[in-house]
Amino acid sequence: MTATEERAPEIGRARPRKEDARLITGRSRYTDNIVLPGMLHMSMVRSPVARARITGIDASAARSAPGVVKVLTGADLAAEQGSMPNAWPITEEQKAPPHPAMAEEMVNFAGEIVAAVIARSPAAARDAAELVDVDYETLTPVVDLATAARDEELIYPDLGTNHSATWVFDSAEAGTGGNIKEAIAGSEIVVERTFRQQRLIPAFMEPRSTVVDPTGEQITMWSATQIPHILRVMLALTLGIPESKLRVIAPDVGGGFGGKLQVTPEEVITLLAAQRTGKPVKYTETRSESMIGAHHGRDQIQTMRISANRDGTVTGLDVHLVANMGAYLGLITSGIPILGAFMFNGIYKFPAYRFECTNVFTNQVWTDAYRGAGRPEATFAIERMMDELATELGMDPIEIREKNWIKHEEFPFQTISTMEYDSGNYEAATEKALELFGYDELRAEQARRRESGDPVQLGIGVSTFTEMCGLAPSRILGALRYAAGGWEHAQVRVLPTGKVEVVTGVSPHGQGHVTSWSQIVADRLGVAFEDVEVLHGDTQISQRGLDTYGSRSLAVGGMAVVAAADKVIEKAKVVAAHMLEAATDDIEFTAGTFSVRGTDQSVAFGDVALAVFAAHDLPDGFEPNLDSDATFDPENFSFPHGTHLAAMEVDTETGQVSIRKYVCVDDIGNVVNPLIVEGQVHGGLAQGIAQALYEEAVYDDAGTLLTGSFTEYLVPSAPDLPEFITDRTVTPSTTNALGVKGVGEAGTIASTPAIVNGVLDALRHLGVTEVEMPCSPSRVWHAIQAAGSGTESGPPRTSAGGDTSGGRKEER
Amino acid sequence: MRLEHQFEVPAPMSTTWDTFNDLEKVVPCFPGATIGEVDGDEFTGAVKVKLGPISLLYNGTGRFLERDEAAGRIVIEASGKDRRGNGTAGATVTAVLTEVADGTAVDVVTEMDIGGKPAQFGRGMIQSISNKMLDRFLACIREKMTGGAEV
Repeated sequence: MTATEERAPEIGRARPRKEDARLITGRSRYTDNIVLPGMLHMSMVRSPVARARITGIDASAARSAPGVVKVLTGADLAAEQGSMPNAWPITEEQKAPPHPAMAEEMVNFAGEIVAAVIARSPAAARDAAELVDVDYETLTPVVDLATAARDEELIYPDLGTNHSATWVFDSAEAGTGGNIKEAIAGSEIVVERTFRQQRLIPAFMEPRSTVVDPTGEQITMWSATQIPHILRVMLALTLGIPESKLRVIAPDVGGGFGGKLQVTPEEVITLLAAQRTGKPVKYTETRSESMIGAHHGRDQIQTMRISANRDGTVTGLDVHLVANMGAYLGLITSGIPILGAFMFNGIYKFPAYRFECTNVFTNQVWTDAYRGAGRPEATFAIERMMDELATELGMDPIEIREKNWIKHEEFPFQTISTMEYDSGNYEAATEKALELFGYDELRAEQARRRESGDPVQLGIGVSTFTEMCGLAPSRILGALRYAAGGWEHAQVRVLPTGKVEVVTGVSPHGQGHVTSWSQIVADRLGVAFEDVEVLHGDTQISQRGLDTYGSRSLAVGGMAVVAAADKVIEKAKVVAAHMLEAATDDIEFTAGTFSVRGTDQSVAFGDVALAVFAAHDLPDGFEPNLDSDATFDPENFSFPHGTHLAAMEVDTETGQVSIRKYVCVDDIGNVVNPLIVEGQVHGGLAQGIAQALYEEAVYDDAGTLLTGSFTEYLVPSAPDLPEFITDRTVTPSTTNALGVKGVGEAGTIASTPAIVNGVLDALRHLGVTEVEMPCSPSRVWHAIQAAGSGTESGPPRTSAGGDTSGGRKEER
Repeated sequence: MRLEHQFEVPAPMSTTWDTFNDLEKVVPCFPGATIGEVDGDEFTGAVKVKLGPISLLYNGTGRFLERDEAAGRIVIEASGKDRRGNGTAGATVTAVLTEVADGTAVDVVTEMDIGGKPAQFGRGMIQSISNKMLDRFLACIREKMTGGAEV
């Protein structure tokens, strides 16, 4: 028998991703690469107007165009299409209009599908789609969110209002804190601000694509989706097709960022088209269709009041949100702002808190999950407010945070918004970040530049954040009226030679699950990293799952994998004991070897696997297989945190903003693969910085999306971003055995306020108090002009400038 | 979107007025435009425009909202729909004729309202293409009014 070899743990190792060789050499299986015999192609006809009654559709020219097999209109599909699902009715009274996959009588946003052309080639479908003549009787669209909220013009007269629902959390009522009115009345200072979370477009790399094959015993759908399992359930519920007759496959998926956490009209229509024609049908959207027709993110007006005492101790937080739903409620549209309710208090101890959100319809494409979903909006608001409060009190932004944050010895900590933060150390992350950043030196440089009236001013942006990951304990989702739980499923299948297949219910779209899961299982079962195959994204292979979103994959899906692997070991121990003629209780398992405690008797994992496969001599009653599965329902969220610091250079003459230095120290608990974590942080930062500086979906008064291409919608590319200085502290999560917390959204959540705080810090001495996002050169320049500073008034006003940086120096 | 143009024609005001009121003469001056039926103050027509990657064929109707010879003021309203479903376009053109030393000065203000794909693909492009088209239109008008004597 072999001696146990010393084996370096896989967890914590910066393994290059297994899946990348294929993905980066063009050998991937994206949905649009799928070609089936006899396959037809579909093209959509979309409304160019935001609000209209459809008075006629003449499809005769399209029907007789070359290659056209069928043209479908809303009227054709009326009997079957049902209403698109909303899985999160946040209140019992929530109002929602019917949402047909294809508009029947009315269109409610520009980009809504009004007809579909199915033809023998993509080109024939596209050409014929242009021949469909639709008559619209246009109505006045309601585009502006604030106007819509006033209910002057009703988008859906039947609903009697443009308001979908109002959702309130009050700490006094919940018993977690005081009354906000009293807190504000009894405080020495109250700061009120209104921020706008602009509308963003997820802009995933791979456009949405769907192929439906109705020719087998089952209907098979391939889709570029984040949520194959949820999609199957929802299609079954919406269309009345038994789940058993529906197989959904998410093959390689090129990014989603929440944008593919959706059951889309395109998927429903493709399925119906395949059923109608009896042939496989493919639909792949163009980029411009993606921009007008796939859901958008953010879009809120946030009015906040924060109260405090003169020493900087916060006493209360009052939040009023108006959230733009767009024209319909998508899968979880209405719940997104609610997720923020639990995060507005951030890392701070508030004695009183009230949150009120009003969800409002407009004639725009609907909003829904977008990287961070609710948490970036909340974090931006609270981190901006802390800076505003610091300014009012003449305190350093770090100092005010230290004064109010939860101390590391206070964890686990029950927040005023009912969350129990598992673990954290804000002091350590902040300390490390300040050091890497060179905070004091940069403050000194800032003071020098102000003194000399340098046209390029320096600002320092601080963002100390936390978020809730590991979505989510099923009981909490139930309490929030979300339609399903938050558990996750995994299966470990042991093959005859001792190699293993891991089946996961979380369906990746670029996060590297295959690599991370291989690392986890390799360590758990003591097999080689290369000997683990990870299967996912096919409801036939991975029968159960709730898919990938909300940084839940590792904390929930990874834990299911651990639980399944542990069950495999328990089963195998029985066989090993039988083989070694020992009692099961005496069997130890380390590094892939079962041994009898206190002896040199042992048997390798592979030998046990082979013995079970042969099944010639197994313990009495032992079922000959080692496969195990597990379903993990987290008992709590995990709460990663971090400190991000941005040094922003702002050219006061042109409004040009650039990032001089960016430092982030994230605490995401234990790390399975540092390389993947680093990539997730970089991508997240790019996305969050983009909200601060570049991206904005703009509709005109007529409801036309003016940023319908990448010429107008500015997605940053590598040259737009600085070199990031990233580091970590490690405070393991106490709510899962891996000690992991989640990282997918961290960069996005934390960076937006860091950047904007930095821009404002550079300009406050000129009298600038707010720059709306994105802080484009034009917006910044106008803010400087509006502040009326020019050159003559010099750098007046005190507060955040030189004096406080002096204060910091003494402290550190 | 508001576009403003000014030009002078070396022709007396009455000639200019007549030209502007003769749709069969004016419309073909507009690049890509054809006139259909004219019925009193109302008319039908089509405009073909190529806007970068998109080609549009607007079919629509128009009418004279105002024809005040004494004030030298003409207001025309037109609206159309792209045959390929790419969107709609509407315009209100106000032309004011003023007698000047060498002929007639014409001030044209166009309020354009463009929706759908062309609007989505960039206002900047619409503005520059509209300007070019109106320049060609005005050059053509000038030519007609001076009997082709100069271009």
